[in-house]
Amino acid sequence: MSYIVKIDQFEGPLDLLLHLISKSKVRIEDVSITQITEQYLEALDSLEQFNIEIASEFLVMAATLLHIKSCMLIPKTKPSLENDEDNDPGQELITRLKEYKMFKEAGAKLRERERYFSGVFYKHPEKILAEFDREVFPEHINAELLKEIFIQLINIKKNNVEQKLETKLYEIERDTVTIQEKASLILDILDKKNEFTFFSIFDQHHSHLDIIITFLALLELLKENKLDVWQNTVYGDIRIKRRINYG
Amino acid sequence: MDERDLMSIVESILFVSGEPVDAKEIAQLLKMDIRSVRKLMKKMISTFDFERRGLQIIMANDTFQLATRPEHSTYIETYIGQERTKGISQAGLETLAVIAYRQPVTKSEIESIRGVKCDYVINSLINRGLIQEAGRMDAPGRPILYCTTDLFLRSFGLTSLEELPPLDEISK
Repeated sequence: MSYIVKIDQFEGPLDLLLHLISKSKVRIEDVSITQITEQYLEALDSLEQFNIEIASEFLVMAATLLHIKSCMLIPKTKPSLENDEDNDPGQELITRLKEYKMFKEAGAKLRERERYFSGVFYKHPEKILAEFDREVFPEHINAELLKEIFIQLINIKKNNVEQKLETKLYEIERDTVTIQEKASLILDILDKKNEFTFFSIFDQHHSHLDIIITFLALLELLKENKLDVWQNTVYGDIRIKRRINYG
Repeated sequence: MDERDLMSIVESILFVSGEPVDAKEIAQLLKMDIRSVRKLMKKMISTFDFERRGLQIIMANDTFQLATRPEHSTYIETYIGQERTKGISQAGLETLAVIAYRQPVTKSEIESIRGVKCDYVINSLINRGLIQEAGRMDAPGRPILYCTTDLFLRSFGLTSLEELPPLDEISK
């Protein structure tokens, strides 16, 4: 009788041997080497795919079994019982099988324990262990102080909103300042004075926009050859004079 | 400070740590000798068990850690909506059994018992933190010795190696 054995369902040749022994329902000590060798070789034969890496270990066992079988055929030269026990390869294999079976069963017991205790959960260490920094939590902080900080923040926000409203009003004003207006202002001054400086046009209340538009008007008049300008130093004041040939 | 104060302090330390805390560390912190710490911890463990707290204190090789109880695992898993990670393979468990009962042990001893090569399975057990190297054997080639870790004890609900279920020893 033969049956198909899938080699990768066994954890090695010893596992396969244990399986064959349990199939034939004998104790390991009472196993017939001849019979088990036959079954083992049959199992190897039934392998459909021959993966040399896995199979080599199974082949070593096959060789061992055949060796034991042949040893049993040769008449014993030393009748001493003690020596017999030590050198009997059959006995050695049985010892190995028993030892393997013991650990296989221990592994099965461990599996039960693992399954049960894998349902135990642990907590990760608190982050503060790595990042604890006292400066992040100053000791003088209290609820009262938090309230004050919050009120301050609210006020800042309110002020920002109001400032934005003011800016909008100012923007409307921008439309009233034009280059043409500023150009005629400059020409008006030149009608009264022969020469004047750029900064003298402005008092303290002039905005940046005012100054810029006036400067653009100045450039415009310069382009139209209506006046002459001098600047003695960088960022210095600009002297403005009506162009003489223009009359 | 009475005993309940001490237990209360230890509980907060175990909570913050999350990881196992050594009895020595507790002794230093509470200015107690190590024997009193062990006594205190034993009492604490049984108090937690007696009061049927949702947390237990796991003892493994003189370290202590807060953890949930395995009885609650189904509820916890439903809550976190996650299945357990895959268990250890058959090959892994056999190898682990050999190392647990025979440690410290070399790779070739493991292989001769199992009858197959064990390089891959030993590496994966090391990666899982269940075994570790334990020096080298004073023999030709100075082969690496392997032993189990504290994580092994905790993963299998053991407080020490003496608690391993007894092997059915071979009659020699």
